[in-house]
Amino acid sequence: MKTILTVFKKELVDSLRDRRTLVAMVFVPLVLFPLLISISSSMLISHEKKAARKTLRIGLVANGNAAGFKEMLSARGDVKLSEGITPEEGRALVRADSLDAVFVFDAAFDEQVAALGAGKVSMYHKSTENSAIEKRRARSLLDDFEKALRETRFASLAIDLSIIDTVDMSDENLASTKEQLADQIGGLLPYLIIIFCFTGSMYPAIDLAAGEKERGTLETLLTSPAGRLEILLGKFGVVGLTGILTALVSIVGMYIGIRQSHEIPQEVVNAILGMLEPTSIALLLSLLVPLAMFFAGILLSLSFFAKSFKEAQSIITPLMVFIIVPAFMGLMPGISLNATTALIPILNVTLATKEIIAGTINSGVLLEVYASLIVLAGLSLCVCRWVFGREDVIFRGV
Amino acid sequence: MIVVKDLRKTFKISRQQKREMRNTPGVGADGTVEAVGGISFTCQPGRIFSLIGPNGAGKTTALRMIATLLKPTSGSIEVAGIDAVKHPQDIRRQLGFLTGTTKLYDRLTPNEIVKYYADLHGMEKSVFEKKREELFTLLDMNDFAKRRIGKLSSGMRQKVSIVRTIIHNPQIVVFDEPTVGLDVITAKNIIDLIRRCKQEGKTVIFSTHIMGEVSLLSDDTAIIHKGKLVFNGTYSEFASQMQGRSIEEEFIRLLEGAPR
Repeated sequence: MKTILTVFKKELVDSLRDRRTLVAMVFVPLVLFPLLISISSSMLISHEKKAARKTLRIGLVANGNAAGFKEMLSARGDVKLSEGITPEEGRALVRADSLDAVFVFDAAFDEQVAALGAGKVSMYHKSTENSAIEKRRARSLLDDFEKALRETRFASLAIDLSIIDTVDMSDENLASTKEQLADQIGGLLPYLIIIFCFTGSMYPAIDLAAGEKERGTLETLLTSPAGRLEILLGKFGVVGLTGILTALVSIVGMYIGIRQSHEIPQEVVNAILGMLEPTSIALLLSLLVPLAMFFAGILLSLSFFAKSFKEAQSIITPLMVFIIVPAFMGLMPGISLNATTALIPILNVTLATKEIIAGTINSGVLLEVYASLIVLAGLSLCVCRWVFGREDVIFRGV
Repeated sequence: MIVVKDLRKTFKISRQQKREMRNTPGVGADGTVEAVGGISFTCQPGRIFSLIGPNGAGKTTALRMIATLLKPTSGSIEVAGIDAVKHPQDIRRQLGFLTGTTKLYDRLTPNEIVKYYADLHGMEKSVFEKKREELFTLLDMNDFAKRRIGKLSSGMRQKVSIVRTIIHNPQIVVFDEPTVGLDVITAKNIIDLIRRCKQEGKTVIFSTHIMGEVSLLSDDTAIIHKGKLVFNGTYSEFASQMQGRSIEEEFIRLLEGAPR
């Protein structure tokens, strides 16, 4: 045990003096990540505000109809009306982003409405993620006009407008705020933490195995009386610890980022900060420890196998896909924690965290998650020990 | 004392290597290559044993087996009466190993590295402090003891390597081509260290292909070529039976006369 601690202490000091490890462990989650949250939320919210405030450019092909609609649009300060265009010109102008929308009224629109029918109107628009707000605003212009026409029609027929309501439904959502929150953004927290945990352990693992092999320091270490398993456990501990520390730093980074961003609505800030309550964090950490050990085992095995730091990087970097995909799957609707998903590493952590945040975690399934992660961590350590014990691997390229 | 008997080491080679080395002697049909092919020798305490041979002769593999970094395919190694295959950790407790390939941690200081290896050898703090002080003063290392290895010159690094190798006062010291690539002054430090180890009664084994070092240091000599010993005896015997005009010529003559 003393030898393991000696190796652990030395590897920790060595890793913490490595700039690459420090960048992945401290700079990215604590500086870059909050900065990205702040910038992206500011950009998103300022885009929404801009789209909501901007003057809508509406084209109107009335064909001598819908005088009320034209009046309504002209009276609004947030609409710039273009008339005297043909439907084809209207289409071209929308495509060229010169107009936000064009309304084309049927030549018989007024007659159709007067005959108590539905007047035909076409709306040309370009619906993309960027123009969703403009489309919604343009559509509401027509909705207002339709509402006005309906009121006029019912008044002329001396019918109370409320007669069209056949069902008076009251909507009551029984899901708690925590449950709603967990469903909407609960998967995001473990997703980010898992990614940071992996990237945080990546550089120390590469440096302490392939790096040492390449620099010739591993051979020096192997001439000491320390046993292979003792050396391995010391390194394994440091790689796992840096993964956990990076994940923790990323939580702090997330907290700072959200606190610093003044653009995010207060209710969203409260909702996200609510996820960062100590109980959730403690439970997430308890899942993260065996997961970090699992990562450490895999990363060290691959790193020992590689001849050089560069080769280890090229072997390990594509592995990110196997981390991101199951972590991302946990964000998708319809996938929930059950006896089967509890056995899938990474996905089980994301799903379990969602349920922990929602307060709906089933203790039996949670135990299954722990058991699966502990078994996998143990297996990865066994594989690592086997790799580290092989002469042809350790002295490969030396 | 080191007693090596019929030591053999084969390595498995990849398919590509097998294709490339098809007509090379020593490559077996089973996809193995013999790096060391049944060598035997003895190294006595208080004497310097030099293992000489050209590149790829099997020197490093043999020394790595003595240092328990590699397991022999067959044969035996006894170090101070202990079986190296059965008790590798016990051997490493008594052994100091210095090679051109055993490097130091760039991000640690000489103080930290030496302390690390002392801790791995389980040295008591007071014993370590005394030994550290003695060696650092002897090799004039106190000025750079707290500077990181990455910032040191190769000579300074080599001094740290020397201290790292002998801090635990090993009874067996193995040097594998320790002066390769070093300047004259730094190489002299190593030569002095080897002599000092001999004076202290340690068993010293070193490999080299620099003939000057052989004549300067050797008490006993073995010449290894393609994994087999072509000479094994005292240096005086080697010198007395020389047919060439110099050690270099004699060395080449022996290699050329060796069975292929």
